[in-house]
Amino acid sequence: MELVQNFPFFNIVMCLASGVIASILSGKNARRLSIGLVSVVGIMSTCVLGYVLKTGEFYTYMMGHHPAPWGNEIRVGVLEASMALFFCIIMLLCLLGGSKYIAQDIEESKLNLYFVMINLMLSSLLALVYTNDLFNAYVFVEINTIAACGLIMIRNNGKSILSATKYMIMSSLGSGMLLIGISMLYDLTGHLLMSNIKESVATIAANGEYTVPLTVVIGLMCVGLAIKSALFPFHSWLPDAYGNSTASSSAILSSLVSKAYIFLLIKIFYRVIGLHVMIDHKITNTLFAFAIVGMIMGSISAMKQHDVRRLIAYSSVAQIGYIYMGIGLGTTAGMVAAVFHIMSHSASKSMLFIAARGLSEVSGNSKDFKDLKGAGYRNKIAGIAFAVGAFSMVGIPLFAGFTSKVYFAEAAITASPKKMFIAMIALAISTILNAVYFIRATISIYTPRNEHFNDPNFKLAFTFRVALVLFIILNFFLGIGSYPIAQAIEKGLAMFS
Amino acid sequence: MNSNYMILLPVLLPVIAGLLIPVIKPLNNRNARNYYVIGIIALTGIFTVFVASLGDIHLSLWKMTDSLEIYFKVDGMGRLFAVLTAAMWLMSAIFSKEYMKHEHDESRYFAFFVSTLGVLVGLCFSGNLITMYVFYEFMTLLTLPLVLHELTKGSIAAGVKYLFYSMTGAFLGLGGFFFLSQYADTLTFTEGGVLNMTKVAGHEGLLLAVVFFMILGFGSKAGMLPLHGWLPTAHPVAPAPASAVLSGNITKMGVLAIIRVVYYIVGADFIRGTWVQYAWMGVALATVFMGSMLAYKEQILKKRLAYSTVSQVSYVLFGLSLLNVTGMTGALLHVVFHSVVKNALFLTAGAIIYKTGKTKVSELTGIGKEMPVMMWCFTLVSVTLVGIPPTSAFISKWYLGLGSLETGISVFSWLGPVVLLVSALLTAGYLITISIKGFFPGADYDYSSLTKQEPKAVMVVPVVILTVVAVVCGMFPNSLISFMSSLAGTIL
Amino acid sequence: MNLYVLLIPILLPLIGGAVLPLFHFTERKHRQFYIGTVVLLNTIITFLLLCMRPEGSIVILNMAGRLEVALHVDGLGTVFAAIVAGLWPFATLYAFEYMKHEGKETKFFSFYTMTYGITMGIAFAANLMTLYMFYEMLTLITLPLVMHAMDKKSVRAGRKYVFYSIGGAAFAFIGFIFILIFGNMDFVYGGSLNMDLIGKREELLRLMYVFAVLGFGVKAAIFPFHGWLPSASVAPTPVTALLHAVAVVKAGAFAIIRITYYSFGTDFLYGTWAQQVILIFAMVTIVYGSSRAVKEQHIKKRLAYSTISNLSYIIFGAALMTPAGLIGSLTHMVFHAVMKITLFFCVGAIMYKTHREYVSEITGFGKKMPVIMACFTISSLAVIGIPPLAGFISKWNLASAAAENGTVLSIIGIGCLLLSALLTAIYLMTIVVRAYFPSRDFNMEKIADVEDPNWLMKLPILVLSIAVIGFGIYAVPLMNFFAKIAAGLI
Repeated sequence: MELVQNFPFFNIVMCLASGVIASILSGKNARRLSIGLVSVVGIMSTCVLGYVLKTGEFYTYMMGHHPAPWGNEIRVGVLEASMALFFCIIMLLCLLGGSKYIAQDIEESKLNLYFVMINLMLSSLLALVYTNDLFNAYVFVEINTIAACGLIMIRNNGKSILSATKYMIMSSLGSGMLLIGISMLYDLTGHLLMSNIKESVATIAANGEYTVPLTVVIGLMCVGLAIKSALFPFHSWLPDAYGNSTASSSAILSSLVSKAYIFLLIKIFYRVIGLHVMIDHKITNTLFAFAIVGMIMGSISAMKQHDVRRLIAYSSVAQIGYIYMGIGLGTTAGMVAAVFHIMSHSASKSMLFIAARGLSEVSGNSKDFKDLKGAGYRNKIAGIAFAVGAFSMVGIPLFAGFTSKVYFAEAAITASPKKMFIAMIALAISTILNAVYFIRATISIYTPRNEHFNDPNFKLAFTFRVALVLFIILNFFLGIGSYPIAQAIEKGLAMFS
Repeated sequence: MNSNYMILLPVLLPVIAGLLIPVIKPLNNRNARNYYVIGIIALTGIFTVFVASLGDIHLSLWKMTDSLEIYFKVDGMGRLFAVLTAAMWLMSAIFSKEYMKHEHDESRYFAFFVSTLGVLVGLCFSGNLITMYVFYEFMTLLTLPLVLHELTKGSIAAGVKYLFYSMTGAFLGLGGFFFLSQYADTLTFTEGGVLNMTKVAGHEGLLLAVVFFMILGFGSKAGMLPLHGWLPTAHPVAPAPASAVLSGNITKMGVLAIIRVVYYIVGADFIRGTWVQYAWMGVALATVFMGSMLAYKEQILKKRLAYSTVSQVSYVLFGLSLLNVTGMTGALLHVVFHSVVKNALFLTAGAIIYKTGKTKVSELTGIGKEMPVMMWCFTLVSVTLVGIPPTSAFISKWYLGLGSLETGISVFSWLGPVVLLVSALLTAGYLITISIKGFFPGADYDYSSLTKQEPKAVMVVPVVILTVVAVVCGMFPNSLISFMSSLAGTIL
Repeated sequence: MNLYVLLIPILLPLIGGAVLPLFHFTERKHRQFYIGTVVLLNTIITFLLLCMRPEGSIVILNMAGRLEVALHVDGLGTVFAAIVAGLWPFATLYAFEYMKHEGKETKFFSFYTMTYGITMGIAFAANLMTLYMFYEMLTLITLPLVMHAMDKKSVRAGRKYVFYSIGGAAFAFIGFIFILIFGNMDFVYGGSLNMDLIGKREELLRLMYVFAVLGFGVKAAIFPFHGWLPSASVAPTPVTALLHAVAVVKAGAFAIIRITYYSFGTDFLYGTWAQQVILIFAMVTIVYGSSRAVKEQHIKKRLAYSTISNLSYIIFGAALMTPAGLIGSLTHMVFHAVMKITLFFCVGAIMYKTHREYVSEITGFGKKMPVIMACFTISSLAVIGIPPLAGFISKWNLASAAAENGTVLSIIGIGCLLLSALLTAIYLMTIVVRAYFPSRDFNMEKIADVEDPNWLMKLPILVLSIAVIGFGIYAVPLMNFFAKIAAGLI
């Protein structure tokens, strides 16, 4: 066994440990620790990814050397490693970009707690990505939920507490359903390790036994995760949660938390139940239908917003619809598209949140478009980043969004004719809707007005600038150099089964 | 230099010379301008006759694209129309010299007046459809300023109406070109038509419809139903010399265009005996009748003359629609006669307006006493137009009637002559009555207020010349008839 | 020859425009000199490239496997590139004068120059991906130009423009994906569909073709997706003239020709319902645009409607799907560009000098602005289709292509063309008549302040008017070139 193979496990443990350490540090140091931690984890994940790509095979890693069915296992393939790496990058950029606003929004005394939450969050994300054990997944889902709640609530005003409560209730509901699903599955198969469950499910399905319970299980797990990842119509918690928390939190929540759940769902599709069984139980069709409605409804809601943050939040609902649509197509191509969109959407959405915060900073901390007019001139880099994010969302070529749109469309064509047709039309309409609100927003931040917000003493935080430049580069990279990524995803999905 | 380039001379000279009028400073002087204008027009006339005498020459000037060629050709039909036009222009120009004194913007008027002549000669000498179309459109555009010369609200509206009717007609014609170019080997005018029957096979119905629309389209300029509406509005508002050539010559260009399309491109055989011929005859006869009726009812002199034009030009079109040599001969004769007569009539009307300012027929009581020479001419040409033997129009109408009977088409063979006769009666009714009232004002006429108002010689002379020509042609028509019938014979 | 030179005409103005704000020119003359140099240089380079016509194509960028950004110079691209490169310097010259009263010149010229590069990208695109990419970028880069005034009206117009365009592109995208799956992204004359892959899905593909044409047709202002164009005439005149008569709308038409002849292929479409649908759309637009133009009293908007109608001439020609149709379509693409830009320039000159915008206000201008009105008249006659001016030739080519086709629809199409010609005569000649023949009681004192603009404006207009005449009189080499394109030789 090579040293690199231990890295994923180390990463998770490191995150948990630094969570504990951060609680006794001062706010500033805790921040340094977190940023350092994310960077180190990122570097280590890169090594892991390199290793997996080199060997071309996945490996499983037993925690504590207890073999299955007793021990915990983590499993590392190309997809897991790249996801881990990607999550680290986004997390790092979010923290960098939002660091000034974290300090502004959160009481000095609670600052270190924020970073405790961040560290716990990262650990749960990594665990969700790597785990090969369904129960373990559940445990980290709960950790994740609690950490996320903390991230929302820590702003400590009425609105954020209300949002956090809302989030907590919905999320717990989701977790509960997931838990019931897992228990029932355990009941059906007698296993908790993913690979083992899959074998038993395959036999059960082949024998035609327990069809109804199996459907219930699948349904519970899917709905549970759908609630947590804010698939339409379970999205009611989302706009408040994203709109009222501090910028980094919204960015992390929208781009990482919900995506981790989706990733878990994909894992369940491939690693636990098996894609064919899923399709046989029509769950893909159901998800597809909700996804299409979500794509449209999310955008329509977004069009009505006057608050930039809520606009971006509602756009997330639409974008999550895209991802579920890819999953709902029930083909490998659709899944590749979905995974790619997880990345491209994370990259764009977190950039938008950070940029929007930068824009409202120069508009008297207002989030209303009326005040944001002309903000693109007052905070140039944020304006550009917002425009790039908007173009990416609309799907202009060269930007990340376009590439995922191409993947979705390609996947749709090879799916069944009915789905193809619906998906194509939905894509087109949703593109138009995206254009309507995002381009309108971009135009309005470049409409010169509100000169009274001009502050000659205003200075941009250096980290903010760096983070946004990196975000823009990342976006272009995903837009132009997507080919190796897509190949890696394909390889990773192949390793799943 | 190739003698063929001579064709360009009568075309370019007036166009360039005309457009130079507002530019050259010395021509701001009225006298200088008048002599310049008359000189240029006379010169153009000489060149036209000269080119016409050169024989059947042709000139391929250049190609816009491979299928669109500017090509001139002098043939019998072209000669006839070109010489006629140039002669009428000269008369009208001489008349204008005096008449235009009471108008404004003379230099603009003469600029367009002179250039139009060049365009018309070009149209006559055009050797293919495209070239003809080029000149046809420019004719419309250059005559537009003549129509709205007065610049009153009414005349501008009339001008715009004229423009749009003409354009509609021209576009209908143009639409036909697109199809003809598909089914013909060339669009060069050739006696008997250029249709390629193997290509046409199977598309006869389409092509017939196309031809019909082209006739209607070009018929617009000739004042034929249903696109005649502009004529009674536009001709009267123009200055009298312009109305004269508009009525006498420009309408004939519509006729020429139809001749070119029917006899030189499509070929008479293609439409003989088809619905197109019958429809055409019907439309022409209807126009003849309608024009006379409206003229009879009309009280404004110039408008009455305009309606008369509507009616008379359709005599020509009726003759053409007969598609036989006799009818064609009659039509061509009527082209000449009507042109001469209508010029004379309009010029007289102009003289009346110029001297007395009277425009209504009812005001003309006793006019014969005031300007006897003018009214004598008016009377003589009226008689001619009515067609009382041995005047000229009698001959042309005779041929038209004969041709109509010759066709042997059951209804039209007798309906044609009947309508022509009725219309002749109406013509007498609307023209001769003016003379009668003019010379015999009745017992209650106040002779004390009578003043001699005979205009100057420059106005009288052209009218007299035209009258003499009209009368003489009627008395000694043989050479003209033989020319026309031989011309008709070559294309049928 | 190294094919990377194809990047020059795209990147030179892009970079040249983008760095303009960095120079902080204090004097207008310096900025004008700089912009003039960039534009002129680019035009020269472009024409040199077009003359040399390097063979083959070059992949600049590979995104996601089959999605390549590639450039080449072929016949069709040459035509579009030549139009754009030929007209840009004139428009720039004109804009130098015009923009003096609009303000924010640095921003304007920055985007204006960048648009040049993007448009060249469309012309040189070697595959659908590249075309689509530049197409979308064109929308975005021209948006600030449309909204230049940044008042309520122009912002609304800009929004409308961008929503329509992106919406159209979203539907064009569907066609794009189908070509990606069932064909080859590279442009091949005659189409690049792989019939084995399609199997029984032919009708589906035809439907997608219709989607794609209508999608690209938004930029080409096909009815009922034309709404943005008249609104966008609030933009400064050089923008309306160059972009909304030449670059942007022609990019739409160009894209339609590309997907019809080079992606889906005429063999696959000729005689099918898809062709008929497009023909009908084109015909309706032809008549609709002209009729609306007749009703419109704002001169610039009238011209915008005229553009709508004329663009559909191009689409009509393309939709005939015969070589003759393509020739007609290309002819009109070139000639309409020259004619319409002249008209817009004239109207812009009127607005700039006299601040009059409505048809009723230009009474008697013929005497006061002799040069402008003469050029306006010439171009009007050309647009109507009076020989021997340029418009006649394109109309002739289009209509005889339709006559050659001989189907019922194409015959109706000829009718539409003629009707539209008549309407064109009405909406343009009324202006001309009004300008030259004010009624006698018109008080010329009212327009005593009216005069011709200076030479910066007059020169482009004059040169273009001469071009309108010249193209009409001698179009043989151009037609031969188009014939070669239509034969698939270049």
